Amino acid sequence: MKTPKNRWNRLIAVGCIATVGITSIMALAQNSATTPITFTAFASDPNANWNNMQDDVGKFLTQKTGVTLKPEFAVGDPIAKINLIAASGQYPDFIVPKGQQGVLVDAGAMLDLTDLINKYAPNIKKVIGKQFDRMRFTLKDPKIYFIPNLDSIGQIDFDTDAWYKLQLGALKEQKYPRIKSLQDYEKVITTYVKKHPTTSDGKPTVGLSLLADDWRFVISVTNPGFWATGASDDGEWYIDPTTYEAKVHLTRPEEREYFRWLNHMNDIGLLDKESFTQKYDQYLAKIASGRVVGLIDASWEIGQAVNSLKAAGKFEQTYGRFGATLKPNMKAAYNQPTGFRGGWGIGITTSCKDPVRAIKFLDYLASPEGQVLNSWGIEGKHYNMVGGKRVIPEAVQKEKSNNNNAFARATGIGSYNWSIRYGDGVKDATGNYYTTNFPDQILANYSDEEKSALAAYNVKFWNDLLPKPSSFKAKPWAAAWSIPVAQDNPLNEFWNAEQDITRKYIPQAILAKPADFDKIYDTLLAELETKISKYSKLQTQLVQDRLKLWKILK
Amino acid sequence: MNSVTSNQSNASLEPSLPRRNTRARFWKTFLDQRYLYLMSAPFALMVLVFNYVPIWGWIMAFQKYRIGKPFWAQEWVGFQQFVLLFQDDRFYNALWNTLAMSCMGLVVGFTIPIVFALLLNELSNGVFKRFVQTVSYLPHFVSWVVVAGIVYKMLSTDDGAINQLLQFFGQQPVQFMAKNEYFWGIVTVSDLWKELGWNTIIYLAAMTAIDTEQYDAARVDGADRWQLMWHITLPGISRVIMVLLVLAIGHLIAIGFEKQLLLGNPMVKDASQVLDLYALNYGLGANNFSFGTAISVINSVVGVILLFGTNAFFKWRTGESVL
Amino acid sequence: MKINPVKINPVKTKKPFDFFYAFNVVLLTLVLIVTLYPFLNVLAIAFNNSDDTVRGGITVFPRVLTLENFRTIFAFSNIPQAFLISVLRTVSGTFLSVAACSMVAFVLSRRDFQGRAFLSRFLAITLFISGGLIPGFLLMRDLHLMNTFLVYIIPGMVNAFNIFMIRSYIDGLPYELQESAKIDGANDFTIYWRVILPLCAPVLATVALFVAVGQWNSWFDTYLYNGSNQSLSTLQFELMKILQSTQIGRDAAYGNDIAKQMQQISPDSIKMAITIVTITPILVVYPFLQRYFVKGMTLGSVKG
Repeated sequence: MKTPKNRWNRLIAVGCIATVGITSIMALAQNSATTPITFTAFASDPNANWNNMQDDVGKFLTQKTGVTLKPEFAVGDPIAKINLIAASGQYPDFIVPKGQQGVLVDAGAMLDLTDLINKYAPNIKKVIGKQFDRMRFTLKDPKIYFIPNLDSIGQIDFDTDAWYKLQLGALKEQKYPRIKSLQDYEKVITTYVKKHPTTSDGKPTVGLSLLADDWRFVISVTNPGFWATGASDDGEWYIDPTTYEAKVHLTRPEEREYFRWLNHMNDIGLLDKESFTQKYDQYLAKIASGRVVGLIDASWEIGQAVNSLKAAGKFEQTYGRFGATLKPNMKAAYNQPTGFRGGWGIGITTSCKDPVRAIKFLDYLASPEGQVLNSWGIEGKHYNMVGGKRVIPEAVQKEKSNNNNAFARATGIGSYNWSIRYGDGVKDATGNYYTTNFPDQILANYSDEEKSALAAYNVKFWNDLLPKPSSFKAKPWAAAWSIPVAQDNPLNEFWNAEQDITRKYIPQAILAKPADFDKIYDTLLAELETKISKYSKLQTQLVQDRLKLWKILK
Repeated sequence: MNSVTSNQSNASLEPSLPRRNTRARFWKTFLDQRYLYLMSAPFALMVLVFNYVPIWGWIMAFQKYRIGKPFWAQEWVGFQQFVLLFQDDRFYNALWNTLAMSCMGLVVGFTIPIVFALLLNELSNGVFKRFVQTVSYLPHFVSWVVVAGIVYKMLSTDDGAINQLLQFFGQQPVQFMAKNEYFWGIVTVSDLWKELGWNTIIYLAAMTAIDTEQYDAARVDGADRWQLMWHITLPGISRVIMVLLVLAIGHLIAIGFEKQLLLGNPMVKDASQVLDLYALNYGLGANNFSFGTAISVINSVVGVILLFGTNAFFKWRTGESVL
Repeated sequence: MKINPVKINPVKTKKPFDFFYAFNVVLLTLVLIVTLYPFLNVLAIAFNNSDDTVRGGITVFPRVLTLENFRTIFAFSNIPQAFLISVLRTVSGTFLSVAACSMVAFVLSRRDFQGRAFLSRFLAITLFISGGLIPGFLLMRDLHLMNTFLVYIIPGMVNAFNIFMIRSYIDGLPYELQESAKIDGANDFTIYWRVILPLCAPVLATVALFVAVGQWNSWFDTYLYNGSNQSLSTLQFELMKILQSTQIGRDAAYGNDIAKQMQQISPDSIKMAITIVTITPILVVYPFLQRYFVKGMTLGSVKG
């Protein structure tokens, strides 16, 4: 092979590559990557405030990077559309597929970003830091297809939510009792309902109402099963922290006792009879009327009703929140650290016309400048530096709180969180927070009634009533629900198969006569055993593969 | 009625002609009917392209289809998807619910709108008639989410109108939404409520084709209102009724899932699971395209069999083909 | 009940007191109230303050009157353009579809047409079969119908259900009409155009209503085929986008923080306002079509 001719050829070839390289470097230097370019994108989450980059931040971004984004946002279920994109072979430049990653990877639509990141994305590398491996797809296919943008890095939750909610008025009346166990929680409800069987307008007081409308069932009915028994959120799963075995969390013996407590609540007439039939709007209406003493739900689910209560000035009917547990030795794990969860994010497709520009754009968004731009806006316009601190002028803040959507549309603040970024509570080089959610602001949003309750409990935030993050061991697998599932993995059916069983038996068990409770719960477990145990093995595999991928397991 | 199919009449005319003659005659008629061919062939072609060509997708039911992979790279699994389907007891539960609800819907959804159309027809043409007619079709445009919300509020044990009525008559309030046995009825009645006026439009239109002279003549013969309805109006729209009925029977197992999903809740899970929802949950929704396709193939095959079966039945009973 | 005396003008039966008629009016008034309720409820909520709506209990009157919900909708740009496209697709789609379906229906009503049985079955089958989403999508791509206006019009133009509706109506007309025209030397198209079509106004109005409402309300085809093309967006699609962005998806169950934050506008109020925006044009156009199928007509004069 080593003929002189060949050598010449090679020399020429090398020369050519060199020239091409040099010219392209020169071209890059000349245009410094600001030649106008338009990238198409498909995003699974709708963004009604998208303004075709004609907003302040968007214009700035285009000017700075030359990039104009032309995204299409999913309407309704993104799954169908992403399947079609995968099937048609005509991909947009960027894609944010959420749970539908597997299909795109399987179709060969996604570009491996590993080299691109290493070469062109110093900021992304800096933000992700030591958790670089957490961007990798699966153990079998450990490439990086997506830059995670759903979860943020280093997030400190100042105000973690807790599920066990009690009306502030009831707490005040009973002199703010300590709420540690379900018994404490129950006692407040019992006492209040006994004293006020009806509300001022003559309607019966509701002790405890649950919500079981479609997927909301898991939020208010089944997830509290682990919240009250010291486990943390792994979706429908419980992952054993020593063996890394997965099982459906409802199969834990503690949770049977939790649902027995709910059965008891029903037996003594404190559980709302409509808990399993009411629709979301009925549930909200009930809460908004101020009749419901206790709730077991996430704050974001009851947000509309609470807003309505506040608008009507009924602050005593809004709620305080507690990490009540079944037994005193159980530690409510709302604050258990997960580390960076990885998972859903943005990818560059194989149809992308200029992957280098694409990754550089994402890298710019991940840079300190880009992140501040997305959360705070433009200096001098949306915030000012006053004595080294970022301050939002009063007029801007007023517009922001009173006219949130119009503000977001005009400024573009919050519309460009396409890339990886730091979470709340992380400070940049100037000592300012990257995001606009920080303690002072949260305090400002508490009502006076909340503040006096918190004062009575001798804490500053509701979060302070919960066990601290430092008292937990971090979950090395982050969260079971955030692990990507390959397209042909039967785990794709798990959610529906499991919900078909739990949504049928859990309400039955709760509403049964106490004597029949065990019989029904046993049926539930038997059904789960015959129909769901095959998925447990797959989920165990999935968790352990992630741990190997993240180099935690060998 | 006059829909005797053409090939029959052709065949009976000259059954023993030699083949070449038949062919020549075909082309002669073809030429005579060139306008008819011109008026239908382009549209038949469109139907071929847009409705028949995509049927290649059925092949997926016999594969383990993976999106984005070329066709020849797919794994063939034969009838495995169908076997899985027929082994799943959830499928039979869904099939049973679907059949029950669609049969109830068929009976109620056919008779009541016809009665309503007849009653409307009895009104003199005036503002009231138009107003009733206009208003009655309005719920058709209100989405199922909204309708389901209203149904829930009315049947609630917490201030629901129906339960207040029951209590007024000294009855105990009933948890309508928590009982399997009420669910099919609630779906059927809600559907009727939503679609009554809309389904009436077609009958009203058909009634306009009835020659008013027929009524005059019958009245001269001393027919009363009921006789007019029974002997003139109803036969006048019977053709439309038959066509709609045959097509509806074909759709017996393909009834969608929206109303069942929105009216359902965990307490009535056993009564509310329907085939289309099952197909969504375990087919497309679980990224299992082949399984989803297998269900839709069965839906189609059953639909076509029911269609031709019903048509044949009608033909046997009445001597007329709807198709 | 009284026995009917013979009437000169039979359409308007007016008697001193008609028990049946009174009963009928009462019954239909009941139907009127029952069917009017959901619409009034939607109307009331659309004009009610959304914080107040959450409290429930709105029936037919708004409690805290506001235009805010509509303002939210119309604050989104692109609505006028989308409205125009929607009108265009509705008008042209309806016109072409009615023309095509009536032509095919006419051909099918001809007892002497030799392809009749085949064509009829060929069409009927399409009502029950579907290749699914993916093959349909790939077909549109291969026919280069994606990102075009035509994708709204062409694929659904020939609709078997509507054809059967029109045909059953034509079948009800006296067949002699066609035969006598044929003897007069008219060709088949002339018979269709001059004799049959004018008589079909009621059924054509009905089918036009069905097609028009379908066209007006559809958004999924916009999403599938023209989702990335702003200039071909339709009103329903834009409204759908607004509605979706106010709703929290199931991902919230998976701890999606972004989804959790999107709850400033109450989706229910927006939904109702959108329903009103959608129905209003239909309500405006409806009376013009309605006169065709509410009024009876006399064939006598045409039969001659």
